[in-house]
Amino acid sequence: MTTRIGASTTRTRVLESLRYVAIAVLIAIFLLPIVWMIATSFKQPTDILARPPVIFFTPTFENYRFAFGEADFGRFIVNTVVVALGSTTIVVIVGSLAAYSFARFNPGNGNFMFFILTTRMMPAIAVIIPLFVIFRDLGKTSIGDTLLLGLDQPGALIVAHTVFNLPFAIWLMHSFFQDVPRSLEQAALVDGSSRIKAFFRVAIPLASPGIAVTAIFSFFFSWNEFLFANVLTRDAAKTITVAVSGFQTQQGILWGPMAAAATVAVIPTLIFVLVLQRFIVRGLTMGAIK
Amino acid sequence: MTLTDEQVSTDLTSRFRVSDRMYPYLLITPAMIVVGFFALYPLGYAVYLSLRHADLTTAMGIGEFLGLENYHFVLNDEFFWSAVRKTLIFSIGAVAIELTLGMAIALLLNGMRFLKGIARSLIILPIAVSPLAVGLIWRYMYHADFGIFNAIVSTFGIPEQNWLGDPGLAMASIIAFDVWQWTPFVALIFLAGLQSVPSQVYEAGAIDGASFWQSFRYISVPMLSRAIIFVSLLRFIDAVRLYDSVFALTAGGPGTATEVLTFYIYRLGLRFFRVDLASTMSILFLYATIVIAGLALRRIMIQQSELAE
Repeated sequence: MTTRIGASTTRTRVLESLRYVAIAVLIAIFLLPIVWMIATSFKQPTDILARPPVIFFTPTFENYRFAFGEADFGRFIVNTVVVALGSTTIVVIVGSLAAYSFARFNPGNGNFMFFILTTRMMPAIAVIIPLFVIFRDLGKTSIGDTLLLGLDQPGALIVAHTVFNLPFAIWLMHSFFQDVPRSLEQAALVDGSSRIKAFFRVAIPLASPGIAVTAIFSFFFSWNEFLFANVLTRDAAKTITVAVSGFQTQQGILWGPMAAAATVAVIPTLIFVLVLQRFIVRGLTMGAIK
Repeated sequence: MTLTDEQVSTDLTSRFRVSDRMYPYLLITPAMIVVGFFALYPLGYAVYLSLRHADLTTAMGIGEFLGLENYHFVLNDEFFWSAVRKTLIFSIGAVAIELTLGMAIALLLNGMRFLKGIARSLIILPIAVSPLAVGLIWRYMYHADFGIFNAIVSTFGIPEQNWLGDPGLAMASIIAFDVWQWTPFVALIFLAGLQSVPSQVYEAGAIDGASFWQSFRYISVPMLSRAIIFVSLLRFIDAVRLYDSVFALTAGGPGTATEVLTFYIYRLGLRFFRVDLASTMSILFLYATIVIAGLALRRIMIQQSELAE
């Protein structure tokens, strides 16, 4: 009996250490492209085009200098932040009103919510050509021009991102509002505050962590978005993803500056995942687990 | 205007009653306007374009009404069907691998006794990164001459490959990239599902002598069925729409080996400006997505009502 227990614990121990080996290998695989991107961004052209690839090299900041100098990458970061902040602001305002309504009153017995959610499944490519034509024509009107809604203007991209962000944001905030106890709002109403005050003074503050998470999701959706940005902007309103793809030139791909630009584009999102992991897990797994 | 007894009996609050009823609708109005105008109007416009001759390279632009002629043309276009086939090969291949690997990783993580939090944090990093930016890095890593993948495979004695330039390999290379980016998401959802299964259930199984495989098959899988359906649906809907990774890695090439549907639509509509044909394909594509998603949603609902019984 004792030997059997001894044997099985040895076996368990071996299996347990194998588990950790497997996890370590997996982490290495998942991190390799990110590590390689950062490494490449600090390599000189000769090291980038070395065969076989070099692991140890003398780092250089030349790629970053080029990306922010000649390639003017800083300007595209500003553009991206403008679009992301603009779209996120609209998404949070419009989305929180709707999400609150869905969570509290369920208007139309869920049909309106279902309708909004189905637009989440819509392939962006299906609307990109009509949107291209709509914004081209809007840009020629005086109102559209004032609101910067034309092609290669930030307004058009803000609207496009808002439409594609809104369903997910409503879905996310809807669950956070459901967690706010109804009784607190009713207490405020009994104390004589109006419904809209109860919404702003009670529901919004209590759901604010969820609203913040939604805002961050929305911001990074815009930050990473490529298809709309590529079709709707040319140069003046170009965003970072389009700019990163712009390092493919007639003379070939400028791997070093591209890696530097990609690193700048990716680092904020990595920090966001590491710092806010608990909320992200909740945001992503919602709906899958009751 | 005459009032019914019921209305008279609530006369004091009737003014508020009306606005009580309208209040929820008032709150959702801005969202409905945004989604309605900028999602439904473009769709309507796409339908309109699909029924006409529209070639933006000619002076005529949007031309005569053709009825369903564009649909007839597209459904008989061999390139369209080839793009559909590639989209399905990509989607089914990528999602199947992601589900299998994701489940394996979730099981590995779930059994960890220490460092679980750190391991999870590191594994989910690919979820957040821009597929376009990192896709371009993968293109460099796939490079036949100075890519790191060829350096890695050759240390294992495998001959070097032209990962993105070989028509037989390019699609698999795109799938590998998608698997890298999305398996962590699938694993994360399965892990959350596994953690929500009460440990007593497994303990009861262990007392009854269930093997690892049996407790997986008869406890984990049924308990995770909702998560499995949810994640398959979500991944599949995203996979058929892939664009960024194809743009970054192959731009549809070599030849048309990786020209999936979104890319074919893009090329036709925004390179050759045949917006009529591109819109027709978009509408067919959207219709197929809705049908597939609708069928899947119905399955989830049926399953849930069975669970409720």
